[in-house]
Order: sequence, then C-alpha cells, then structure tokens
Amino acid sequence: MKSLIQKGIILSSILLFMACGESTDVVESGTYQGTIKEVEAAKTEIYVSTDDNKTLELYFTENTSLTRNGSEVEFSELKEGQKVEVKVEKKGKRLDPLSVKIME
Amino acid sequence: MTELPDFWRTEVFHPLSVHFPIVLLLMATLFKLISLWSSKITWDHGGRLLLLLGVIGIWIAIYTGNLADGIVSRQLCDPTVLKEHENFAYTTAWIFTAALIIELLMRYIDLVKTRIISIILVLLMFAGTGTLMYVGHLGAQLVYQQAAGVNIPSGDCAEFN
Repeated sequence: MKSLIQKGIILSSILLFMACGESTDVVESGTYQGTIKEVEAAKTEIYVSTDDNKTLELYFTENTSLTRNGSEVEFSELKEGQKVEVKVEKKGKRLDPLSVKIME
Repeated sequence: MTELPDFWRTEVFHPLSVHFPIVLLLMATLFKLISLWSSKITWDHGGRLLLLLGVIGIWIAIYTGNLADGIVSRQLCDPTVLKEHENFAYTTAWIFTAALIIELLMRYIDLVKTRIISIILVLLMFAGTGTLMYVGHLGAQLVYQQAAGVNIPSGDCAEFN
C-alpha cells in the first residue's frame, strides 16, 4: 500500500510538469485562417489555431474590426470552434489583430 | 499635457502581491529540508505553515497576474515572455499545491508519514523552487526589458510639476 502511494505521488509529480502550459506562436504580418481554440472574454482575447497548426494569441485593440457577413458584430459573438480569418500586424513579437472575420 | 497616472492601477496589484509567496515558499522549502535532519519540530511545523501561506499567496498572485495580463499584454513588444511567465507560474502553483496536499496527508494519515515521502516532498518543493525562480526571472524581464505595467515619465517630467 505504501509503495502504491509513493508511486502515485511520483507519477502525479511527473504528470504535473507535463500538464501545465500552452505555447503560442509568432507569425509574420498577413492574413490567416483557422479555428478559435479559446475565447477570453474578460481580456477580449482569442487563441486561434491556424490551418498549419500554429497557435496565435490575439488581444483585440480599439482598432480591431470584428465582422460576420460583412457586418460589425460584438466580441461576445466569438465562440470556441468557430472558423475565422484574421489579419494580423506583427510588431516586435506581438501580433495585433487588424481584422477578424467570422466565417460561419 | 501628460498627467501622472494613479498609483493604484489594476496592473500594480500583481507586483504588490507576488513577493510574499516567493519568500514564503522559498523559506518553506528551506524549513522542510532542515526538518529532514533536525528533530526539532519547529522546522517541520514552521515549514508546513509557510507552505500553507505560500500556496494561498501564490494563487492570489496568479489572480492579480491575470488581471494585469489583460492590460499589459497589448503594450509588450514580446508577449511570448508573458505567456511563458504565466505558464510557469501555473506549473509552480500546482507543484506547491501538490506539495501542500502531500504535507497535509502526512500530517493526518499515518500510512503516508514515511521517510521516503518526506524526501519526495522536499524534492517536489525544490522543483517548485526552480520553476519559481524562473518565473521571477521572466517577471523581471517583463518589467526591466519591456516596462510591463510601468509608467514612463515624459522627457521633461512635466507631469511631476
């Protein structure tokens, strides 16, 4: 029993190291299509998983336009799993979203 | 004319809260290490108390860090450093939380109270100390290289007149 508890603690410790964290990628300025992986409404932030398996972390700015079928929509319209097209501008290693189009 | 911003800004609560768990958790690790060899219960009990307070403190620091994140991210030139800071902060918090759970199990369940688990606990806390120091290093990079959350005065300091 003691041995089982000890093994459990060691295994849990290893899993703990592996479980934490989410990495993001930096890409060049341009337009990318992908799927919304996560929406952080409180920070007006989204994570987009692009078609070439990169994760973009995008903080909306006051200049970011968000549209669906050509019309401006509220940030609350964004949901996980939605297909989007994002136009980003790279400043240093920061990606500023210029526009986000909801594709569906 | 530029105005001096209020000191009590949302992003300032993170640096105000983050240094307590750093000290508490480092001291907790030291106390628990000494308790492996010392028969004085002060080290063991003190280490437990420091660990408990440190774990409470680190989750408060993570909460205030999340508040600051939403504000400073848009101003950073390399937010990937912030992301790594955040990821390792969560890893550190979970490591010390796991250490606290083990510590409490050892306190209340005799079956768990063995020498080998005491050693595993200290090793876990050392691992947490390593990630804690790295989180601190990344936090310092954010402040001293990218001025995260820092007000930069105008060239003529007019706002201080």
